[in-house]
Amino acid sequence: MIFQENATLKQKLEILSDAAKYDVACTSSGVERKGKKGQIGNSVASGICHSFAADGRCISLLKILFTNECIYNCKYCINRCTNDVPRATFTPEEVCTLTIEFYRRNYIEGLFLSSGIIESPDYTMELICRTLHDLRRLYRFNGYVHCKAIPGASPELIEEAGWYADRMSINLELPTAQGLRELAPNKNRKTILTPMRQIQNGMAESRAELGMKGGNQSAYWYTQKRLGRALPGADIAAIGEKTNSNVKGLPQQGIIRADGTGLVRENPQAENSLSVKNASTALSQWKHRDTSRGFVPSGQSTQMIIGAAGESDYEIMAVTEALYQKFDLKRVFYSAFINVNQDANLPALRGQPPLRREHRLYQADFLLRYYGFRAEELLSEKRPFFNTYLDPKCDWALGHLEHFPVEINTAGFDVLLRVPGIGTKSAKRIVEARKSGSLDYHALKAIGVVMKRAIYFITCNGRMMYHFLKIDEDYITRNLLENDKDVMKDFGEKVTYKQLSLFDDYAEGG
Amino acid sequence: MDKPTRIYQCEDTAEGILSAVYDAGLSGYGHKYIKIQPQTENQMENFELFAEYVPVVTEEEKVLRVIHSVRDKISRQAHFYMMSAVASCYPDRGDAIYQFVTYGFTMGAKVCDALQIPCVKRIFEIKRAVHNEAHFMKEFLRFQEVQREPALLLAVIEPKNRVIPFITEHFADRFPEEWFIIYDKTHKEASFHYREGNWELHILTEEEAEKLEELLEQQEDYVDLWKAFFNSITIEERKNEKLQRNMFALHYRKHATEFL
Repeated sequence: MIFQENATLKQKLEILSDAAKYDVACTSSGVERKGKKGQIGNSVASGICHSFAADGRCISLLKILFTNECIYNCKYCINRCTNDVPRATFTPEEVCTLTIEFYRRNYIEGLFLSSGIIESPDYTMELICRTLHDLRRLYRFNGYVHCKAIPGASPELIEEAGWYADRMSINLELPTAQGLRELAPNKNRKTILTPMRQIQNGMAESRAELGMKGGNQSAYWYTQKRLGRALPGADIAAIGEKTNSNVKGLPQQGIIRADGTGLVRENPQAENSLSVKNASTALSQWKHRDTSRGFVPSGQSTQMIIGAAGESDYEIMAVTEALYQKFDLKRVFYSAFINVNQDANLPALRGQPPLRREHRLYQADFLLRYYGFRAEELLSEKRPFFNTYLDPKCDWALGHLEHFPVEINTAGFDVLLRVPGIGTKSAKRIVEARKSGSLDYHALKAIGVVMKRAIYFITCNGRMMYHFLKIDEDYITRNLLENDKDVMKDFGEKVTYKQLSLFDDYAEGG
Repeated sequence: MDKPTRIYQCEDTAEGILSAVYDAGLSGYGHKYIKIQPQTENQMENFELFAEYVPVVTEEEKVLRVIHSVRDKISRQAHFYMMSAVASCYPDRGDAIYQFVTYGFTMGAKVCDALQIPCVKRIFEIKRAVHNEAHFMKEFLRFQEVQREPALLLAVIEPKNRVIPFITEHFADRFPEEWFIIYDKTHKEASFHYREGNWELHILTEEEAEKLEELLEQQEDYVDLWKAFFNSITIEERKNEKLQRNMFALHYRKHATEFL
């Protein structure tokens, strides 16, 4: 191992941001918090991006590891203990100074602090807590903080971090428990899901006691509510308090059974299953902590590596949906696998990492969270992968032409949402605008409907935009592929599609 | 027979346009025949032969009357749309505002959603453009510390629209204990923030603008650290400069530390 004993601050920053860059989440969204006299910083619910790196990914937070030393040996990770890479460790003071000085210059929205495992999970979590304590209390930082919960760390330390942080995340790493066993021998599902459950319950307790504190429910939660479906994690807290038993009898509706993989089977004994025991209460430090921000007000997220362990898109979406439903996550992130270690147990990649697949998963993730789709509507065991050429919504629409065309001037909000080319914002605008008179194709453009996709699926006052349009699968597919730059363009060696075009509707800072 | 178009010529400022809206509204001439033309330097180029020209005198009283009646009689949202459009740079904004306000007085609060009406659509587009630009400024504006004791932060921007009022509030809330200046080089104006959230907007003289430009020449240490972070956070295997350009357009990079 190479140690950089006397590294300068700049060298440390380079090593420890380089080591942190494979973590995907960089969002600063989910909590609205005003500035405070005597402090520095506020937080904006939509999040703010501050720059974009040469890979096109948003830079919103100072994303660094506290240390890249690590006692674990996860096969996919650049920081695994058997790798011969330069190592460095920050001091809490260095992290605080960098955060404050970058923040004052409007380079960043806040801090994203992760870490390699040094000595033990508890020791590592303590270092994170000490740093966040200093940042909040000594440096009086009131901006956004995202930190990792270290799997295996004690509940007291997880709780302490949650009182400082806006968002916490624990990476699921791999969609299947088997993949995790093979590639991350020092981690297991239980040590990952236990703190995730604790944070979920802690958030529920904090909201019951203190209110939302500027945080909001997840997009998934709002969508389920609008559709009158069972809300994510709704009865979990109640079950936990009374019986301290396993999470059974959860809302069954809409939960996908991906049998054979054991992904979401409610089997208490199976390490595979996405369920863990509930702690009786998640929070016990009310009296000793600053509760003014609430407990993890911006919620929690996780990420999965895509394409390292041979899992299907269907398995990934099933796990994603289960995480939204049972763990009330805010976001699930997908990280296209990059073979940094050339490990024999990992698939060899020809050319680029599976970016297009990652892109399709993000699109499908939006369909779950904002559009009310269920994973089983998009994929099935018989058809476990997304169409590479068409986005998941177009793909779904082409398979369900019996629902089309949709009449713009009368269709309900949720029907409009299922039309390719209509997003949440444009659907809302259509519903508002038609109160003052009927809409024509001209107005739809102003509203922000993507006409090149929508025209095959809609009518305005009973008429399609052009008389020669046909509601026919082959005809529409051919036209979509021809007219839509995003579909075929640059597919192959160079991928230059607009990765974030699906975020246009939300302007989320992430 | 059609009436001749009546063109209200006003100052090319927020106050000028709102005064013209007031005069035009009071005239009862009929909104189909009214245009509002802010006077810029090359105005003579689009002189119309068969139109009546009416000069507008800018008065605070007119401005306040328009603002208050839009806010109280239409809606706060309509007020917000109008103030956003007034801050924009589009030559047709006077016409759009006048027609929007006229419709608003008949339709009430729902006017803002009626995107099938051309002037509402236009106001909506202008408002969106202004706030998109303001949002980009919140993202990409960079402060530099031009003085240590007491600390003073300075940022320079070159927006198309006059976005300073929309962004200064954001930074004032964020940095209640900082002294900072946001300098709009396009419109030669700047906001000055003092501690505890008080700030003022000033139109700058030539000398004041030059003074700010001089201050910007300085170098500081954190620039180097930020560039180091900016470079090392890139994943080489995912390199995609076209995507980067889509997200961070070249013309916004002019004052962004990491690209200098």
